[in-house]
Amino acid sequence: MFNLSELENDALVEIFNIGVGQAASSMSDIVNETVRMSVPSISFMNRTDAGRLLAGPDPAQERICGVSQNYDGAFRTEAILMFPEDKSLEIVRLMVGEAVPLKELTEMEQEAMCEIGNIILNSCVGTLANIFQRELRGSLPRYHLGTSDEILTATSSQDGTVLMLHIDFVVERQQIHGYVAFILGMSALHDLKDQINQYIARAMGQA
Amino acid sequence: MHAPPDNRLPLLESVLSAVSLGAIVLDGERRIVMWNGWMARHSARSPDEMAGQDFFAVFPELRGHRVDAAIQQALYNNFPSLLSQTLNKAPFPLFARPGVDQERLQQAVEVMPIPVPNAPRHCLIQITDVSLAVGREKLLREQAMVLRSQTFSDGLTGIANRRHFDVAMEKEHRRAKRGGLPLSLLMIDIDNFKAYNDHYGHQKGDQCLIQVSAALAAILKRPGDLMARYGGEEFAIILPETDVDQATLMADALRLRASELAIPHERSSSELRLVTVSIGIATQLSGQPVEIAALIGAADRALYQAKRSGRNRIHARLPD
Repeated sequence: MFNLSELENDALVEIFNIGVGQAASSMSDIVNETVRMSVPSISFMNRTDAGRLLAGPDPAQERICGVSQNYDGAFRTEAILMFPEDKSLEIVRLMVGEAVPLKELTEMEQEAMCEIGNIILNSCVGTLANIFQRELRGSLPRYHLGTSDEILTATSSQDGTVLMLHIDFVVERQQIHGYVAFILGMSALHDLKDQINQYIARAMGQA
Repeated sequence: MHAPPDNRLPLLESVLSAVSLGAIVLDGERRIVMWNGWMARHSARSPDEMAGQDFFAVFPELRGHRVDAAIQQALYNNFPSLLSQTLNKAPFPLFARPGVDQERLQQAVEVMPIPVPNAPRHCLIQITDVSLAVGREKLLREQAMVLRSQTFSDGLTGIANRRHFDVAMEKEHRRAKRGGLPLSLLMIDIDNFKAYNDHYGHQKGDQCLIQVSAALAAILKRPGDLMARYGGEEFAIILPETDVDQATLMADALRLRASELAIPHERSSSELRLVTVSIGIATQLSGQPVEIAALIGAADRALYQAKRSGRNRIHARLPD
């Protein structure tokens, strides 16, 4: 499996934390209360393991709610924000402050979930692109609901490696765990590693 | 059939003007370069009037917020953004009938980067009217609320039960915190109720609860006020947007109303020999949110204080 050195790993975690920090501040502005987000860790895995990680103890039962966007340009990736379905209900309702819970997200709530995904994914990828001094194009977000396998398959045809970010989302003192998956092909992975090293070199004043 | 090349631009302009959604195009300096017919109809500002204007001079209230961030994402990062109606309450002052309607159209907004040859990137702001969908969901929620209210009322008195209280408290507490509004909570207890039950029997006791709760609930006039049966002979009232003085006035009116019922109570510890109530008041001041448990705790302690000072009285305190 593709791997980063400890230094490269720490640099990437730092970059993503800058990204989700910006996303959290946008969301705080929307709901007028403090939203905090952090990325405690990242890992690389293949798609099967990613599906297993998301599925939890009973893969057939648990439905996952996902918001995906495509990015291309300097590198190509499919980015997907994912939460277990009940957590996505919780996030949207915490953000909206709605007291009448229905069993599933309504059409308007799905759109709100798409916006949350759009903010988080654009911030993560935007920070990455800015730090790498590269430009990417992005698509509009799409909403998915299904098992983790269905979502990972529906969103991307390329058989790439998954860069998995663990995301902690805190609003109203409730902490919710979610994931952002970047599906990356081999060339994008090596490009990512190169870019991280250039970033590290610049940060250490060697470039 | 294709339009001849020299006809294509006017054709595109006519199409853009005819589409049923709002389209605004901004250049790299965030000046308005296009404002379509739909925008003109719903804003009462013509395309000619808007052309060349600075977007944030036209909509200064949008500066620094979500629409601004989305425009920056499109112009500088090349990323599109989606602004949902749910999280962004009608950002643009657009109306079904401008100058007549008070309420803005419900909007879903998309901001897309637009590449332009030989010029910095532009962006397209698309606005869709989602008022119908919003209305539909409101209806759905109202129906769900009616269904739920049936499991949310107290079997004996018909007022809200403890579960309803917990949900309403959660919602009002959140709303007070976000809006920087005060929130008051009253805890009400029927004085010497155990003695009443022992003396008159449980059926009379139940009747007493029904009568007192109905009379007190009738005093509450605002839709957001909620009276719930909190425990045996204990009731709670949530008073949103109510400060200490207003809550004290309300509590005194409630206390008075209970004694006016003139329900005889031979075992009452007071000389009146009538059913009376004691009330504890706790207020979360505007802009000083506390935990729900702290507010309930303060109301409980205030109630205890009212009881200790002789019953048939009210006592207010602030949360610690």
